[in-house]
Amino acid sequence: MSAIDHYINAVIERGAAEAQEDGSAATEAHHLLLAIAAHEGTTAHRVLATAGLGRQAIRAALDREFEHSLSTVGVTLASFDLPKPSAARTPSKVGATARLALERGFAAATGKKDLRPVHLLLGVLDTEIGTVPRALALAGADRVDLMARARETLAGESW
Amino acid sequence: MSAEDVPVPKDPADALAAVVALRLLADRLEDAAVEQAMRAGWSWPDVAEALGVTRQAVHKRHAKRLIAAGVTLRRRR
Repeated sequence: MSAIDHYINAVIERGAAEAQEDGSAATEAHHLLLAIAAHEGTTAHRVLATAGLGRQAIRAALDREFEHSLSTVGVTLASFDLPKPSAARTPSKVGATARLALERGFAAATGKKDLRPVHLLLGVLDTEIGTVPRALALAGADRVDLMARARETLAGESW
Repeated sequence: MSAEDVPVPKDPADALAAVVALRLLADRLEDAAVEQAMRAGWSWPDVAEALGVTRQAVHKRHAKRLIAAGVTLRRRR
């Protein structure tokens, strides 16, 4: 397997662990974003970190988005005194949003040989719809600027 | 609460995001509630009936994690 195959596997595995921690039935795009932010030593990680988007900051933004979205229909998390399950179920599948993000990431590269971690980041960011852009907006992060910064790194050969 | 009483956000993006958030909340609530029931000695068929799903569905979704959590599972009443 090539380095990018190892990276993609690592991101999907870490994404599944994030989904499990989340109590989510499937790995979704925002779980991949958490995984990308947690994987050090890549340009994708540096682009996020420079914007103040470490794994913890993204997790906090996602929690805010979750509570905000519930509040629009009059539901507050505080009204649910949920005991934390002793063990979460294992997400058995890659969800539709994660698939879309991966497809967009692959499409952002000119070919398999060109594919690098930052393309995956671009794939996750390249949508105006859904949890990722909503969470980034609530965190005050500029998604379009983030994509521009990610694209700037593509000119070099950086991993 | 009738269907008319459910507040629908004006922005479709908010309304759709609320659906996603409620599904996640329901999944989390189900994990907690099924564990609570099984610890209280409920059987799979009873939990399945209460949730309105098949026994196979509830077993597939929760058995592995509950066994991992050390919950004693009853087969039948």
